[in-house]
Amino acid sequence: MNCAVPRTTLRRILKRQKPLLRLSANTDLLVHLNFLLFLRRLAEEARINAFQNKSRIIKPEHIIFAAKAILKKSRG
Amino acid sequence: QRKPSEPKIPSSLIKSVFKHYAKMPVASKSFKIVEKCTEKYFKQLCNDLAAFASHAGRKTVEVSDVEVLMRRQRLVTDEMPLHVLIEHHLPLEYRKLLIPVVVSGNKVIPEIKCS
Repeated sequence: MNCAVPRTTLRRILKRQKPLLRLSANTDLLVHLNFLLFLRRLAEEARINAFQNKSRIIKPEHIIFAAKAILKKSRG
Repeated sequence: QRKPSEPKIPSSLIKSVFKHYAKMPVASKSFKIVEKCTEKYFKQLCNDLAAFASHAGRKTVEVSDVEVLMRRQRLVTDEMPLHVLIEHHLPLEYRKLLIPVVVSGNKVIPEIKCS
C-alpha cells in the first residue's frame, strides 16, 4: 500500500471548498486518517454486498449501494 | 490559458488503499465510483469541519474538531481511542507528529497544549 500522505493536496481540497477556513498544524494528517477509515468502511460494506449477491468480484453497483449507507454514516 | 484543475486525491492512491482494504478482486470500473464517492465525502467533510470550528468561535480547524467529527462518525469510541487508530493506520513518520512521546530530559514531543 502506498503510504505517503498527499498533505498539500488535502489542504488544497479544503481550501477550494472553504477559502476562509484554516487548518492548524498536523490536522491534515488526521483528515487523511479519516479519509482512510472512510475508504475502509466503504470497502468492507462493498465486500459484504458482493458476498450477498454471490459475486466473486466487487462491481460498481455494490459500491454505489455501499456508498449510500457509508456517506450517511460519515456525516458529522 | 488552461484553468487550474480541481485539486484531487491522486487516483492511484485511492486505488491502492481501496484494494488494500477490500481484500477481494475489484472490477476496474468500480474505482471511478469510489473516486466520485471520495469527492462527495470531502465536500461533506469540509462542511462539517467548518461547522465545528465556527461553533467553537474559531477560524482554524484544530485537532479536537477532527476528533469530535470522528466521534460523531462512530470511528472514535470509548473502546477505540484516537491514538489507537493513528497507530494502526498511519505510517511511523506521521505518527511521530501526532502522538506525544516522552524523550530524555522529561521532555514531551510534540508539546501537549494545556487548555
